Amino acid sequence: MNLNISAYVVFVFLMVFIIVYVGRYFYTNGRVFIISLLKGNVSLADSINRLLLAGYYLLNIGYAFLKIKDWKKINTLEVWCSSLALNMGTLILILAFMHYGNMLAIYYLSKSNSITHKLF
Amino acid sequence: MSNTYTVAAYFIYLPIALVLTWLVAKTLFQNGLIFMRDIFFGREEMAKATTALFKSGFYLLNVGFALYILKIYDALTGMQDTIEVLSSKIGSFAIYLGIMLFFNLYLFFRGKRASQRRRVEATNPTPVTPQS
Repeated sequence: MNLNISAYVVFVFLMVFIIVYVGRYFYTNGRVFIISLLKGNVSLADSINRLLLAGYYLLNIGYAFLKIKDWKKINTLEVWCSSLALNMGTLILILAFMHYGNMLAIYYLSKSNSITHKLF
Repeated sequence: MSNTYTVAAYFIYLPIALVLTWLVAKTLFQNGLIFMRDIFFGREEMAKATTALFKSGFYLLNVGFALYILKIYDALTGMQDTIEVLSSKIGSFAIYLGIMLFFNLYLFFRGKRASQRRRVEATNPTPVTPQS
């Protein structure tokens, strides 16, 4: 087994684990906000939440697999470590920016929503 | 032939960066929950959820950045080189973490001010002019 293949295996396992874990975490904690945005319509909020989770999984796991295509040749152990860290770091940073974008979207939506405006 | 100094530097840098992130996140969000309780006045589940979301964002951003800057470009030739490069890397990461900590604190204080203003507006029917 060459170093490239072992890097791919480690990368895919770690990234799928991180994406699924973070997705579950956002799913459970974001529910309250969607319910408050939809003024207490729980069933609609739950279905929107599930659709968002499915979209998030598809987008991020798809992108993680897409990144494997343009991975440079790995000759030594140090390149193995650094390229694995660089690729994982980029993906985690993308996750972080998407997360902050979502939080900003929730903030602006709740600001424009007059009922939640009073409650906040 | 791989450079053992570089590999050793990576294996020293990564645990230190992750533990630093964990420590900063722990102190920041243990104290952040009090701010959130104040902002989401009496709505405990909202305060907890917001803290959790901020915490996961903080972890993602900082762990991602720690991994992103891991690569050492100079060829390390000895112990002295390794120590110098490692200390500059860990030092700059710690400074970055400090800046992120203060940025999060700034967000907490801003939220606190906004929620106080809204509470005053909700109790008074006439709009209050903002004071400078």
